[in-house]
Amino acid sequence: MRRWTSAALAGAALMMTAMPAQAAWKSYINRQLGFSFMAPGEVKTDVGNFRGAIAGPRQTIVYRSVEDNVEYKVTVMSFLQAQAEGATLLGERQYMFQDRKTVLMDTFSRVGSGQDTVYGRKIVVDLPDNKGRTTGAFYFTNGRLIALEATVLPAKGNVASPDPDRFIDSIAFVLSHTGPGAVELETPKLE
Amino acid sequence: MRLTALAILVGAALMAITTPAMAAWRAYISHPLGFSFSAPGELKVEKGAYRGAVAGARDALVYGFVDDNIEYKVVVIDMSDKANDAATLLGEAEYIFQEGKKVLMDTFGRVDRQFGRKLTIDLPNNTGRATAAFYFINGRIISLQATVLPANGDYDSPEPARFIDSIAFFTVRAPDDAIELPAPPK
Repeated sequence: MRRWTSAALAGAALMMTAMPAQAAWKSYINRQLGFSFMAPGEVKTDVGNFRGAIAGPRQTIVYRSVEDNVEYKVTVMSFLQAQAEGATLLGERQYMFQDRKTVLMDTFSRVGSGQDTVYGRKIVVDLPDNKGRTTGAFYFTNGRLIALEATVLPAKGNVASPDPDRFIDSIAFVLSHTGPGAVELETPKLE
Repeated sequence: MRLTALAILVGAALMAITTPAMAAWRAYISHPLGFSFSAPGELKVEKGAYRGAVAGARDALVYGFVDDNIEYKVVVIDMSDKANDAATLLGEAEYIFQEGKKVLMDTFGRVDRQFGRKLTIDLPNNTGRATAAFYFINGRIISLQATVLPANGDYDSPEPARFIDSIAFFTVRAPDDAIELPAPPK
């Protein structure tokens, strides 16, 4: 009996060693930009670029982490002077996300409830040349276009991982719903 | 020979009688609202109502037509007081259109630098098939909706797509003989 117990314990220990370490998921909040989300790994802040035929060239704020071969990214673009064009700007961003890719899902997404609801879309695409599978969610609220993208890289092996959904569905725009202890995100200055 | 010719003539006459009369398609334009479209049948201007949790209760302006058991509607909802919520207001209208129905198509609509959506749904209890397009422009939701009624018999009729795809937001694209739509009531 003792031998069996030791063997089982040793097996469990081996399994834990062989499995990739899963970082804890943390809640992140940016009160200035008005959203919160959850992601694993260390979230880094960066500045990026975007160009759309309607949006024109834009600087973006990017929050990014990589964990267990899944890349998590939140991209924020400001359109404070063009809020009334939000529907078309959002449509263009969604269109560009899925353009020339294999679309596996394209559906409504809703964050919040009642008159605080923010409507957007959730789209899943397979990237060309077997580079992975990306789940994206896109919203336009308070003059900002917010895109959440989670890409399961080929090294992950399991493209049907539930982690992208957990990340995408964690977005909140009513900040009172964000639990205490959320990490405050910085807002880099754009040119 | 004479008998054959007579039979063909009688057959053709019978076909013409049994085929429903198709109304001519006409182009319409609204310069104040900034769009044009084409539709068959007689134009009726009506007042409608719209309600959404985000949008609240709204009056709607409806340009309606009926031809060959297909209902054509252009619905204009003024949201200029909440235009900064354009993306969510448009998403809500699209969502309400398909909520609880069987969705057959849900895809991007792209017209004259405007991104919107095109949806086709089957109405409950075999009451028809509706195709719609939704856009948000100049503080208004512009929605074109074509419903093939069961009496039409052909849910795959190309007419709804012809109607939906006729929308133009660059008025220069409207045909020269487009009829000016009655001005929206104050």
